Amino acid sequence: MNVLMPQLGETVNEGTIATWHKKVGDKVTKNDPLLDVETDKVAIEVPVPADGVLLSISVAAGQTVDVGTVLCVIGVAGEAAAPAPAAAPAPAAAPVAAAPVAAPAPVASAPAPVAAAPAPSKSAQMLSPVVRRLAAENNLNLSAVTGTGKKGRITRQDVLAVIASGGQKSAAPVASAPLAAPAVSTPSAGAVPAFDPRSHIPFDRIRKLTADHMVMSKATSPHVLQAVEVDYSAVDAVRKKRGAAWKADKGYSLTYLPFIAKAITLAITEFPRVNASVEGQALKIHSLVNLAIAVDLNFNGLVAPVVKDCRSRSVGQIADGIRLISQKARSNSLTADDLSGGTYTISNSGPFGTLITAPIINQPQVAIMSTDGIKKRPVVVESAAGDSIAIRPVGILAQSFDHRAIDGAYSAAFLNRVREIIEQHDWESAL
Amino acid sequence: MAQLSYREAVAAAMAQEMRRDQNVIFLGEDVAAAGGVFKATVGLYEEFGPLRVRDTPISEQAILGATMGAAMTGLRPIAEIMFSDFFAVCWDIVVNEIAKTRYMTNGQVTLPLVIRSANGGGARFGAQHSQSIENWAMAIPGLKVVAPSNAADVKGLLAAAIRDPDPVLFFEQKSLYGNKCEVPDGEYVLPLGVANVAQEGSDVTILALAAMVPKALKAAAILKEQHGISAEVIDLRCLVPLDTKTILASVAKTGRLVTVEENPRLCGWGAEIASIVAEELFWDLDAPITRITTPHIPLASVDVLEDVMIPSVERIVSVVSEMH
Repeated sequence: MNVLMPQLGETVNEGTIATWHKKVGDKVTKNDPLLDVETDKVAIEVPVPADGVLLSISVAAGQTVDVGTVLCVIGVAGEAAAPAPAAAPAPAAAPVAAAPVAAPAPVASAPAPVAAAPAPSKSAQMLSPVVRRLAAENNLNLSAVTGTGKKGRITRQDVLAVIASGGQKSAAPVASAPLAAPAVSTPSAGAVPAFDPRSHIPFDRIRKLTADHMVMSKATSPHVLQAVEVDYSAVDAVRKKRGAAWKADKGYSLTYLPFIAKAITLAITEFPRVNASVEGQALKIHSLVNLAIAVDLNFNGLVAPVVKDCRSRSVGQIADGIRLISQKARSNSLTADDLSGGTYTISNSGPFGTLITAPIINQPQVAIMSTDGIKKRPVVVESAAGDSIAIRPVGILAQSFDHRAIDGAYSAAFLNRVREIIEQHDWESAL
Repeated sequence: MAQLSYREAVAAAMAQEMRRDQNVIFLGEDVAAAGGVFKATVGLYEEFGPLRVRDTPISEQAILGATMGAAMTGLRPIAEIMFSDFFAVCWDIVVNEIAKTRYMTNGQVTLPLVIRSANGGGARFGAQHSQSIENWAMAIPGLKVVAPSNAADVKGLLAAAIRDPDPVLFFEQKSLYGNKCEVPDGEYVLPLGVANVAQEGSDVTILALAAMVPKALKAAAILKEQHGISAEVIDLRCLVPLDTKTILASVAKTGRLVTVEENPRLCGWGAEIASIVAEELFWDLDAPITRITTPHIPLASVDVLEDVMIPSVERIVSVVSEMH
């Protein structure tokens, strides 16, 4: 049985092997983890499709191949002795991005498989400290790397070359990839800081992508922060009235976030330029409002999956959309489609009681809103009968915008409109 | 800028400091009227006279005892020990007195003195007059240890040694005395403890000292030309204080370290640096740290054997190219 590179999303046509969990010759059981595949947006685990023996692996870890390419062959135990290259069915349609790796991985941690293959020379298996460190930091499997050093040893230069070529590959998508790794910086070959595993936490994939994206965004867009103070009484009234029934019905709480998201969606109708991307010397206005929602992964990274087409959704449908992508994010089951196509981003630090947050724009968008803590405060209420002080739920909405795309007056008018909508909209019928 | 030889730079630095500071005096065997057996102090006696430039009897203990006493009573003496091998007859005063006085008097008595000495092999002087003893010296707490590789550094580092408030052992490599290079005119002082990146490179760091520096530079040129290897050559200049910052930055960049030492192998200075680098930069190393040294046997008098024992350009090229 051939195991093929899976389709990781409608707009994704290739994937990279992150890790093989099994070796050639291993007995495998259905639904055991077989390998990890990643794109520039997601990483997923591919399970063993059927009981048997892993007869051959045709794409090594670290290599990128098209969807549908044969990755490995699983057969019955009797076939196990077949040498890998012969057994590997020729992947006719697949562009041979990588020579099939028949030889056992010359990685120190992988014991030589049972199958009789010529053992690589001892020195080729020896990895120097710096090579081990770089491989660990970059999650590289070096089995497919050809060493250029003495007796075939893999040198630091060899590893840096692999990292550099990988960095170039992941730079492709432009408009549709909110968290795509831009080709901003790869680790410089020059000053590699001293690495101490006792005190240094290597950046994992998502940390590296986030780091690169944030640096790229700050370098690309001149950020300006503006904030408004919002009275959430109108929203609060609906939450109080409908919240208990909502929770009983849906199984999760009705928060402020879907209301804010809807208010932003409505305000964008009047201020479409905040829902846009800079493309060359032009501002491309997006017709759909696809709200990317920043989701924290228990302090182990940040993703911004997208609730698509919020114009056509009610507050409740937006709430359902946010709930769905948050759950998928936390269960690590987001697809590339969930992560692409965002046109405006909301970052929600409010549950932590923050006062104000200056968010970094999710490129290639031009604005991002931070929803901060909502707290009861004394507010001066003006009326014909005179001014009085009331207790109101109040919070700050803070938007960073790209000053290349729009100016402060436009952004301020948009923010003011969001505030008016939140304070005055008929939320009960909008739910 | 003038072209000066290594030996002329010794006299130039001493003259510069003796003109600047009346307290700087100089004593040693045959150093005055004769200008030193290596002619490194020619002209000082003529300029500064017999009170400040003194010949002594042939007694290294007497030279260093007088030097220590002069330093204790306010002068800045420079002593010459003709061959560094002769430190062996005066270690007591160097190790037990000079190196420890500041510490044992709680800083009340300091010894701003310099002991210059012709060090190292390559000049066919045999086992008793050719030793490289920089590793003996660096093993003694309380001494600074300087060993320049070229005339400009001789001038700048010797001036700094004379101005230093504490005892400095200044090793002149005797096979370098005739080497010339551009030396800055006028007052010229270099800091102690700052290594010189003599040749920038990216593939391997070669650390060298004194006479090993020109050899390492020649080897680097051959490595580049014939093997495509880009070697960074660092002239340590001083063993104490040791410029670990420059060393570690270079090895972090290249991932490979080779030391080229004229001292015998056991406990040579490269061993100390290898241990520092292994401890600080283990996760940056791409190859074993490799030392090129003179073997641990007394140096031969016969020229062909001396040449085999002391690290050569060919040996450096061969070791470095083999490790790639």
